Amino acid sequence: MSSDAEGSTGAAVGSRTGGDTILSIDDVHVSYGKVQALNGVDLDIGTGELISVIGPNGAGKSTLANSISGFLPYDGSITYKGEEIDESDPEDLVERGLIQCTEKRDLFGFMSVEDNLDLGTYVRGDYDERLEFVYDLFPTLEERKDQHAHTMSGGEQQMLAIGRALMSDPELLVLDEPTLGLAPVILDDISEGIDRIQEEGVTILLCEQNVTFAMNHADRINLLENGEVVRQGPPSELRDDDYIRESYLGG
Amino acid sequence: MASILSVALTIIVQAAMISALYALIAIGFTLIFGVGGVLNLAHGATITMGAFSAYYAGQFGLGIPGAVLASVTIPALFAGLLYLGMVKRLEEEPIMVMITTLVVSVVIEQAIVVFEGTTSRSLPRLIEGQFHIAGSTFQNLLGVMFVVSWIIIGLLFLFVNYTKTGKGILAVSMSHKGASLVGIKSSRINLITWIIAGAFAGIAGLFLGSWLTADFAMGQAQLVLSFSIVVVGGIGSIRGSVIGAYLIGFLEIATTNLISSSLQGLAPLVVLVVVLLVKPEGLFGREFAE
Repeated sequence: MSSDAEGSTGAAVGSRTGGDTILSIDDVHVSYGKVQALNGVDLDIGTGELISVIGPNGAGKSTLANSISGFLPYDGSITYKGEEIDESDPEDLVERGLIQCTEKRDLFGFMSVEDNLDLGTYVRGDYDERLEFVYDLFPTLEERKDQHAHTMSGGEQQMLAIGRALMSDPELLVLDEPTLGLAPVILDDISEGIDRIQEEGVTILLCEQNVTFAMNHADRINLLENGEVVRQGPPSELRDDDYIRESYLGG
Repeated sequence: MASILSVALTIIVQAAMISALYALIAIGFTLIFGVGGVLNLAHGATITMGAFSAYYAGQFGLGIPGAVLASVTIPALFAGLLYLGMVKRLEEEPIMVMITTLVVSVVIEQAIVVFEGTTSRSLPRLIEGQFHIAGSTFQNLLGVMFVVSWIIIGLLFLFVNYTKTGKGILAVSMSHKGASLVGIKSSRINLITWIIAGAFAGIAGLFLGSWLTADFAMGQAQLVLSFSIVVVGGIGSIRGSVIGAYLIGFLEIATTNLISSSLQGLAPLVVLVVVLLVKPEGLFGREFAE
């Protein structure tokens, strides 16, 4: 609430492109024993925005995603749709439209594609309406609707994981490393999918190691290193940033 | 020649009926493990509790309907409370769950010893009479046991595969995190599986006690049996449990009829050792209720 007026580092650097703030992260710290994974992260996301968190392995991207989704305890405060969610279970957040698609995908391996999608509507989302959207987005899933999830390729599993998350009719979709280990052909499908999800009005937090991919999609970028946001701003600005060019865009 | 056929028929029919009950017992055990990842060593004692619930209902003059009702609800309630009161807090530590449930099972057995002593008790007979197949005679009770067990197994199958909560059970059994990601609360699903397993054990106790007798230690052999069946069938698989139950049931009845009745209880262990040597993941691996 205070971040708009006082301005965290982020608000000062990058002007917000979205509507009302849907998620506000304020001074969040997470540690695994003695290891500090997040060290005072501030971040605001406006409704309808696509914000990307980039950074190397171990920077804390997944930790941030899991803190937001209620899987990890943290110090500091995270506000979703105007309410503190520090005490919320992941399942309660799903009910309120905060859906995560994890790096490991966490699919139901011995279930068919369609059953996986069906379970996406366990607490929210209209099955018929969402299924039409998901199949339209990723036609491969419809072709393979009776196939068991664990028998599919990595790219298809990624589509299914995103599809299952979309079945829950997300308001805020947290995508953790959706491009990890995917072939370039599949990357195009996922890329197109993300564009269309955003067109639907879904707010997206994209945690991504593939900086080029993130730059192509995000309204604003946050570079996370060692648990701290070290750069914030729109892609156009950060492309010219010497440090980012040298370290992440290959000079 | 006729007598060989008749012995074979007796073995097949008897084994088919008893194995259905074994399947019912093992499914409850495997459901809890497959979904929650913990072993309920009080499963046998829950069966005993079902038998004695029916016994007390009979003592209070509640008749057969009262006995049936008591044998289902009391163990189901007990299992639910056991989950909420103890297991839920220890879920991250499966060894602690084993120890706790083992202690609970000893407590139940000792409580029965205190109130009823160690002598066997007769339960209200669910159904009298006999039926004949090709000249062999069987108790009607075993027939009812067979039919009821299969109806219950069938209903569970439908519940798990075709209802929302049932699919939630499958989901949790495959991925706890995946379940959370779609909003399924694992603890609620676990509670449901404990209640189902408790009810199944209670019904099994009613049948076992009504067929034979009830005593404080009657559940011990059933726990060993459940364990063997579930390992043979593949831990966490309903279909595997049914097949494991039939495999062990047939072997047991064949052994006791053809070799010696003193060897009862050996069959499960022999099958267990063979399966562990040849196919340690069980006949149906770890997939749940395919």
